[in-house]
Amino acid sequence: MTETTPRVAALLPAVSLIDVSTYLPGRPISADYYAQFADTDDLRDNLMFRAPRFRHHVAEDETAVDMVERAAADLVDRHGTDTLADVDVLITHTQLPDMPFYGGGGAVAHRLGMKPNWVIDLHNGGCAAFVLGLKLARNLLASGEGRTALIAVAQNAAGQVFDQVTVRRKAQAAVPGDGAAVGLVTTSDCSPILDVECRTYGEYAGDMTIAMDPPRKWWQAGPGEGCIGFTDAKITKVLARGNRQVPEVAYAVCDRIGVTPSELDLLVTNQPNRVFLRNWREALELPESRHVDTFDECGNLFAAGIPVNLDRAITEGQLRDGDVVMMAAFAHAGDFAGAAAVRWGGRTA
Amino acid sequence: MSLPALDDIATPIDGVIRIENAPRERATPIIMEMMRSVYPHDEVFGEYCTVNDYVDCPPDELFDYLSDTRSLEEWTYSLRGFTPTDEPGLWLAYDRLGSETEIYTRTVANREARTVDYHCAWDQGRHLWMIYLMRVVDARVVLNKPGSVVLWTNCHHPFYDENPYPETAPPGRPVWVGDFWDMFGAGHLLELKNLKAIAEYRHRNGLPVTPAWMS
Repeated sequence: MTETTPRVAALLPAVSLIDVSTYLPGRPISADYYAQFADTDDLRDNLMFRAPRFRHHVAEDETAVDMVERAAADLVDRHGTDTLADVDVLITHTQLPDMPFYGGGGAVAHRLGMKPNWVIDLHNGGCAAFVLGLKLARNLLASGEGRTALIAVAQNAAGQVFDQVTVRRKAQAAVPGDGAAVGLVTTSDCSPILDVECRTYGEYAGDMTIAMDPPRKWWQAGPGEGCIGFTDAKITKVLARGNRQVPEVAYAVCDRIGVTPSELDLLVTNQPNRVFLRNWREALELPESRHVDTFDECGNLFAAGIPVNLDRAITEGQLRDGDVVMMAAFAHAGDFAGAAAVRWGGRTA
Repeated sequence: MSLPALDDIATPIDGVIRIENAPRERATPIIMEMMRSVYPHDEVFGEYCTVNDYVDCPPDELFDYLSDTRSLEEWTYSLRGFTPTDEPGLWLAYDRLGSETEIYTRTVANREARTVDYHCAWDQGRHLWMIYLMRVVDARVVLNKPGSVVLWTNCHHPFYDENPYPETAPPGRPVWVGDFWDMFGAGHLLELKNLKAIAEYRHRNGLPVTPAWMS
C-alpha cells in the first residue's frame, strides 16, 4: 500500500490522462450463439455467469497487437501520428499474449511507430491493469522519465480460450467479451490523475486457475481444453473479495482527494457480472446513472472494461469537463485491486 | 436415511429453502444475490440491534460481573445512581440521556447458559419492556483462545416508537428513549467497548472483575 503525500504531490508535476480510444472486434455475437452449444451446467443459473446479451470475439487471425493498433486509430486521428511517435513510456497488458514467453510491448511499440525509453508489460494487473498502468505512467512521468505515456490493454480470451469447442458449452464461456483500448497520459494539468491506490493481495494469487481434464500443465499437449477453474465455493469467495476490495480502494482514493464517494461524477469499474456492478454502486452510494457499464453489449471485458467504458462515457457526453471520474477494479480471484481518480478536462487534440 | 422431517406439512411452505427443493446450483445464486458490498443501516440495525465483541477476561468472572445490575453503573454510557427499590431485584437508576429520567432494571441471569438479560424501562417499574439480551460465551470454544465473547441483542419493541406510559414521564421532557434507536448500534458498541476495556483492565492487573464496592 503506497500513497502520495500532499507534500510530494505538490512537488511533482501534474500528470493527466488526456484521452482514451478503443476497439471492439467484429460484429456483436448474441447469446443465441451459446444457446446452441449449451450443456447442463451447474453454474448456468449462477448470477456470476448470467450471460450478457452480446459480446465481441477477436477474429481467428487477429493478434493482440492488431487489436491495440486498431484501438489506437482514433487516438491517432485526434492527436496525430507524432503523438504516438513521441511516446516515452509504453505500458501494455495483454490477457492472452500472442506468444507466451514475452508480452506484447515490443511488437506494439514497433507497430505504432514508437521508440519509447520504457516498455513495460503488466501481467499482474488483470482487470485492474489500466489503473496499475495509470499509476506507473504517472510516477514515471512525474519523476522525469518522459512527457508522454501510452497504456495499451488487449482482452482477447473470449474468442479464443472461451470459444473452444468444449469450453463454449460452459456457462462461464458466454460472459467474457473481447476488446482493446489505449490511454494517453502526458505531463499536463488538463485532466489530472488525482490519486491512485493499488493493493496486492498475494494470498489469493493462486485462486484463479486454468483447469484441464485430465490435468496437465497449461503448455503441455493433451486432450482437455483449458477453461477457468471455478467451484461454487471459489465463486462465493471471489464475490466476497470483489465486494470488499473495489469499494476499499475507491474509498481510499476518495479519502485522499477529499471527495465523498457519493459526490463522484462517474464511476467506471471492470464489469465481471451484474452483481458486482450493483454491489459496487451501492457501496459508493451512486445511482445507476453515474456508473457506466457496457456489460450487456460487451460482456466481461476484463482489463479493457475500464477504458472501454470510460471512452463510452466521454463519447456520449456522460463525462463532462471538470467531472471527477473514479476508475476501480479488482483482478483475477482477488489478488490485486486498484482505483484511480481523474478530474476530466475534456478531449483536446 | 432421512428422518420424517416436515411430514406433517402437506404442501411445501413458500420460502423454505432446503437442499431437497433447492439443490446447491439453485441455492447458491440465492445466497449470492444476498451477498452485498454494503448493507443499509436499517437492514442491519433496524429491527434487531446486535453488537458483539471479544473480551480478554474469563467467561465466568465476566458473567458474575454482568449479572450484578450495578455493573451497569460502570460500563454503560449514561445509567447512574443504582439503588434498590422496595421490590426485590428491581433497581432504580437515572438515565442521564433524558434529564431526570428514572430507569428501572431487573436482571435475569442464567449461569448455566451465561445469559444476562436486563429488563428495563424508563419512568416506571411495572412493565419492563426494554430488554437487553446478553450472552457470555467461552472464547475457548468459539475462538480457540482464552477469554469471552459477548453477544448483545436488543429488539425493536413498538414502545420505542411511542411511549406507552406518557403519564409517568417527567413533565416537559423533550426526548423519548426510542428517539435514540438509530444510534443503538453505535451506542451499544461504544458501551460494549467500555465493558471490554474495564473487564480486561481488571483481569490483566489481577483485580477482581467484580469490584469490592459491588460485593
